[in-house]
Amino acid sequence: MDIKFSEEQEMIRHSARGFLSKNCPSSFVRSMVQDEKGFAEELWKGMAELGWMGLIIPEEYEGSGLGFLDLIVLLEEMGRVLLPGPFFSTVVLGGFTLVEAGNEEQKKRFLPPMVRGDLIMTLALNEAESYYDPGSITVSAKESGENYVIQGTKLFVPDAHVADWIICAARTGPGGDSGEGISLFLVDGRASGLNRKLLKTIAGDKQFEVVFDQVVVPKTNLLGPLNQGWPPLKKVLQKAAVAKCAEMVGGGQQVLDLTAAYAKEREQFGQLIGSFQAIQHHCVNMLIDLDGCRWVTYKAAWMFDQGLPFETEASIAKAWSTEAYRRVVALGHQVFGGIGYMEEHDLPLYFRQARVAEAAFGDGDYHRKIIADHVFAQGVF
Amino acid sequence: MNFNLTTTPEEEAFRREVGDFLKAELNDELRRQHAMDKGLGPEARAFNRKIGQKGWLGLGWPKEYGGSGGSLMYEIILLQEFARHEAHVPNEIARYMAGPTILHHGSEEMKKEFLPRIAAGEIEFGLGYTEPPAGSDLMAMQMRAVEEGDYFIINGQKTFNTESHYADYHWLAAKTNPKGPRHESISLFVVDQRAPGIDIRPLETLGGERTNEVYYDNVKVPKSRLVGEKNKGFFYMVNALNYERLALFQMERLFPTLNRLVQYAKETRRNGVLLADDPLVRNKLAQLVIEAEVGKCLEYKALSLLLDGRIDYESGIVKLIGSELRQRLGYKAMEILGQFGLLEDGSPWAPLRGEIARLCRASVVDTIGGGTSEIIRNITAMRGLRLPRK
Repeated sequence: MDIKFSEEQEMIRHSARGFLSKNCPSSFVRSMVQDEKGFAEELWKGMAELGWMGLIIPEEYEGSGLGFLDLIVLLEEMGRVLLPGPFFSTVVLGGFTLVEAGNEEQKKRFLPPMVRGDLIMTLALNEAESYYDPGSITVSAKESGENYVIQGTKLFVPDAHVADWIICAARTGPGGDSGEGISLFLVDGRASGLNRKLLKTIAGDKQFEVVFDQVVVPKTNLLGPLNQGWPPLKKVLQKAAVAKCAEMVGGGQQVLDLTAAYAKEREQFGQLIGSFQAIQHHCVNMLIDLDGCRWVTYKAAWMFDQGLPFETEASIAKAWSTEAYRRVVALGHQVFGGIGYMEEHDLPLYFRQARVAEAAFGDGDYHRKIIADHVFAQGVF
Repeated sequence: MNFNLTTTPEEEAFRREVGDFLKAELNDELRRQHAMDKGLGPEARAFNRKIGQKGWLGLGWPKEYGGSGGSLMYEIILLQEFARHEAHVPNEIARYMAGPTILHHGSEEMKKEFLPRIAAGEIEFGLGYTEPPAGSDLMAMQMRAVEEGDYFIINGQKTFNTESHYADYHWLAAKTNPKGPRHESISLFVVDQRAPGIDIRPLETLGGERTNEVYYDNVKVPKSRLVGEKNKGFFYMVNALNYERLALFQMERLFPTLNRLVQYAKETRRNGVLLADDPLVRNKLAQLVIEAEVGKCLEYKALSLLLDGRIDYESGIVKLIGSELRQRLGYKAMEILGQFGLLEDGSPWAPLRGEIARLCRASVVDTIGGGTSEIIRNITAMRGLRLPRK
């Protein structure tokens, strides 16, 4: 039993924290909300130079071939500063899916440019009536000669406006109990028939409605086996959920740090508010909630790296972190009082992002269903 | 990073040895006696001695004092495996408080007199700290120990002393320097629980276990029974607390109950629906599993820090989470069982042998004893977050 990170992981953390504290102040985060692209090319290049895009990409595709836990360390630092931009979409949604489902030719074609920072990718999955659920996907892909033709509307597609390639989960066959009938397609971002509309979310992050209007995709861009796109995608979503938890851990830590610091400087009634038990208990509850997020997330990532089945652990991490992070931010608001309610304060940024993170890759109810299924099938471990 | 409990083949072999022993030796009666603290019956005492004979009650102690000279890791493995099998490693007071304090601060004579017998499972200790005026504020205790020749004469009243009616020795805290600074006013003693002048009166609790008021009327305690140095009691008490809290709240203890609830839901219908098919029941059980697993992760974090000698406020957090979760488990289980949750062991129609009714009652004290949730939060605020005192 050992909770220490390796020296290499500590180096990743240390260098990421230094780089991001210099290059991603909250003023930058705010400006990217207004910015149409939502990220800065120079910063993106800097991240690529640090090897971030290639961290978990296998070495044969120019990546560093590191583990999931190593990426978690990096994502935590990104979450701490609310790093805007398409890193998560590209590396977690795009990269993991390519590694999981791509054939050799596809991996060779897309992964090296991704590693170099020359390629942005995303995933189009959810729809008006489909929330991380293969059975309810209606966007269709119909065979037509050497191509497939995709038709339908995807929602909540992150970074669709800057993605060079969009992985689209479409129905190619009848559904079944295990998500059969869904296929994954690599869609060129410049394909005709693609229409994007920005969704105005509570955080102002770049999520899009993407309409696929008779979008033609060559058969060679089928990612993974026909009608069997859900199994690899499901694995990616589990990892994405844990990856999102890592961001929440980082964000939550920043909220706690800011809150504790404020409690040690703000005076009311002739004493520091941090000496009042109610404030102390709020801060401790934040600490406990956050610590829970942290360790259940690390454990899920560790289990994946060990080759252990981690589906239930991933769901536990996301369900817990989602609700714990909500509490952490809410208590932070209580301690900060009025000034934390002002938009010029950093806390509202974390509040808004917390809502987005909550909904991403399954909320508490979604994951409790998965956990209950496991528990009723196999008992409590 | 490693979330496996055992790391070496030797550790894994020990874990399996403990598991095999418990599978062979535990029965429902022993489990019942361990769960109900009314005064352990002869079967439980015999079982304690068996555990002692395996060398498991003094695992971490040096061999010259009857211990096994093992590492802390083996102690942890023992506790985890016992918890998994719903067994109780006996004699916590002796093993986590009296024993380590005597080992580190007691005289050679005291070490030789008590440690081997604790390790062999032959003697038990009861805790003697709390008094009517001294709960969370332990330093407000009023029991007095006055030096007189070769003895201390002790007068006063302890309360909520839960082991006194069956323990051989009282691990007693009393004031030897009432006029001095609070943290230098208390000494620790090992007292024969059956000594003349000691009157033990039972108290019944909501949870069903017996506890006691213990009255000391001019009780003569030999000076050789002073533990370590006079007036250093507070310092010794604080040092022992981290071990005590970890031992009390293992998340593993909750999993057998959770599994029984899952099984119950698979076999029980209400209002036309199998409970296992009811989304609300599924949601509740899933949430309990989540909280238990999060608790377990934090427990492992604390254990890892303990093994590294770096533990601080983290043990309090584990106790906090475990105790609050155990209460929620009781309430949620009551919801799942519906009216049947009311039924006590022995009642017709009582499900799970009345386990849930008892769990609800017994877990009320979990957030109070061993450090209230409020005190733990206060301490964590100061030690974990460095928030100011005033």
